[in-house]
Amino acid sequence: MNALNRRTASRLVVGGLALTLLAACAGTGSVDTDEAPAAGTTADANEVESLTFWSNHPGGSKEVEEELIAAYEAEHGIEVNLVSAGADYEEVAQRLNAALAGGDLPDVVIVSDVTWFNFALTDALAPMDELWETVGVDSEGYVDSLREDYAFDDAHYALPYSRSTPLFYYNKDMWEAAGLPDRGPETWDEFAEWGADLQEANPDVAPLVAPDGSAYLDWLFQGMIWTFGGAYSDEWEPTFTTDGSIAAGEFLQDQVETGNLAISNDPNNQFGAGQAASLLASTGSLGGLTETTEFEFGTAFLPGPQPGVTTGGAGLGIPAGIDRARQEAAMEFIAFFTNTENTVTFTQATGYMPVQKAALETEETLAFLEENPNARTALEQLELTSPQDYARVFVPGGGARIGAALDRITTGGEDVETVFTELDEETRTVVERDIEPQL
Amino acid sequence: MTADARTEDRPVAALTAPPPGSGARVVTTRGQRYRRREVLLALAFLFPNLVLLGVFTYRPLLDNFRLSFTSWNIASPTAQYIGFDNYVEWFTSSSSQTVLWNTVVFTGAAVVGSMVLGLALALLLDQKLVGRNAVRSLVFAPFVLAGAAVGVAFQFVFDPTFGLVQDVLGRLGIDAPSFYQDPRWALFMVTTTYVWKNLGYTFVIYLAALQGRRAELDEAAEIDAASTWTKFRRVTWPQLRPATFFLLITVLLNSFQVFDVIHTMTRGGPLGDGTTTMVYQIYQETFVNLRAGYGATVASIMFVALLLITLAQVFLMERGRQK
Repeated sequence: MNALNRRTASRLVVGGLALTLLAACAGTGSVDTDEAPAAGTTADANEVESLTFWSNHPGGSKEVEEELIAAYEAEHGIEVNLVSAGADYEEVAQRLNAALAGGDLPDVVIVSDVTWFNFALTDALAPMDELWETVGVDSEGYVDSLREDYAFDDAHYALPYSRSTPLFYYNKDMWEAAGLPDRGPETWDEFAEWGADLQEANPDVAPLVAPDGSAYLDWLFQGMIWTFGGAYSDEWEPTFTTDGSIAAGEFLQDQVETGNLAISNDPNNQFGAGQAASLLASTGSLGGLTETTEFEFGTAFLPGPQPGVTTGGAGLGIPAGIDRARQEAAMEFIAFFTNTENTVTFTQATGYMPVQKAALETEETLAFLEENPNARTALEQLELTSPQDYARVFVPGGGARIGAALDRITTGGEDVETVFTELDEETRTVVERDIEPQL
Repeated sequence: MTADARTEDRPVAALTAPPPGSGARVVTTRGQRYRRREVLLALAFLFPNLVLLGVFTYRPLLDNFRLSFTSWNIASPTAQYIGFDNYVEWFTSSSSQTVLWNTVVFTGAAVVGSMVLGLALALLLDQKLVGRNAVRSLVFAPFVLAGAAVGVAFQFVFDPTFGLVQDVLGRLGIDAPSFYQDPRWALFMVTTTYVWKNLGYTFVIYLAALQGRRAELDEAAEIDAASTWTKFRRVTWPQLRPATFFLLITVLLNSFQVFDVIHTMTRGGPLGDGTTTMVYQIYQETFVNLRAGYGATVASIMFVALLLITLAQVFLMERGRQK
């Protein structure tokens, strides 16, 4: 090696050292700044040539999403990249969390009833109210209760998209075999009475099947706990240990122990295969069950006394970290995607509820409901719904935490009061540690 | 020997070396230059890798340690320094004990199960059997499958309503256990699934070791009329020790970090943490409970634990070799 080569080698050494030092000194981009990510400069939304939409295709909606996107592209000349960003709402949220730390944000993202709040709390989602005005969105056209589900601190952080309520699905043949009227039980006490008849008439078949705690039992049980006078929380104050909440937990446990209720990791398939006489599931399951079941089934309100039903599902949000022009273009896309005509298309393909008031009255909707009376149940039940408890939807990990506790009292057979007392304390700790400092 | 021949036989360095005591320093400097040249050249070749390692391995590692001392909502742009609070919480939490127990059981069963079964299959398929190549391929195939795909497939195998296990046990008049609702059976289910997926790896390493063993030792044992067990214990097994040590480290490290099978099959449940291992706890705390600082703490504890286990294994292996 000659002198020149030695110099080259030395430069390599020094350059490499410098690069390594630079790399080691660089921050994560996530924790070193006190400033929230800010939208960029104002620009013309018409200059945006493409948008990225992260979805989990709720209710098997990938085809209809592609269909609506094709219509949007044809009308607006903006390319939309539909990204399968997760198998469920939680996985999409996890991917968004990773993107917030590492970059590459989408322009439109699906956010569920459980996931949107933390993004709003941390300024990761853009407030939409000003964007509505800029783009000219008629926010009043959306069903009020569904739109207001995304309100926090005098702003809205999403618009309703794949919204649902739980439904009571029942197998009409098994109902008939048990000599029951062609309707769902009006109260949980009535269901408990019917359970024995169903077990006797349909041996080896569970009268009712519901998902376990890892698959949204916490969402379904929320209505039940209300009918017993309890709740998960009163705003930020956990109320798992009130008499009503404990009574609801004991009722749930009793139904499992008497064989009236089966907890399953795959309840829709169990019901669809005739292994259960009835099912607690989302309206979003209606399309799939209608396609796959080979028996006649009906849908009914969740047992009361009402209110015993909540809403759920997801909306569409816009990250705060993308520039203003993209935000406006994204807002236009969301407005198109959830307009009256398209919400009718989406609803009929999936079973989710129409999110536009006008969609409830269109000829198409009325004709569809005439042909599909099972779909009518969700719309009629909408009037009876109540907003979800903070402990489930706003407290980080709330749904999973409550679901795990419900598993302990159902499949684990643990004492309800003990489990709910622990749950109450855990929830209180999380609120004090993770929520209160940010409010 | 001629003078020329003697000259040719001398090392190159000696040719340029001054006579002892001459005090000439030029040649010494050239020798140093020669060594420096080699060092610089080596560094030049090493640097790209060192930079990549620094950026993609050691910097995240250091960053993770830094984050473990913070309270950080992963969606938030800010984090608060909280000292050792996360570590205190993990070491005093009752759920940590469950997670640690699950990790030890899962890892232990996965290491022992896949190594014992892998060795047994390797010994069997090392014999001259009809169609052994096809069977070898079948045994190895699951290892190249994605863990998530294996998890989804085995969900059906263990399905309480339609599953293969339920069907087979039903034909034998046995009620299938509650794989998805009883934490012990759930842990058994995910461990079995992982062992099945990982079997091909231990099998192929053991098979390679068996095929590389010294044939004359086997022949000597046969001449001495050693029994099959004695031959295995005294002749074959000692030759498999390096492979066993290698597998012990790699399988243990891999098993410790299994995520995909658990996520697709049980999501860490039932009962909340029935199959939650340390890696799964990192995910749960970071992405479900949104406590990225606490997740980093669990990751740091796991890193130190793995480091200590690996060092202990190396130490024991070295000591065994010296003996």
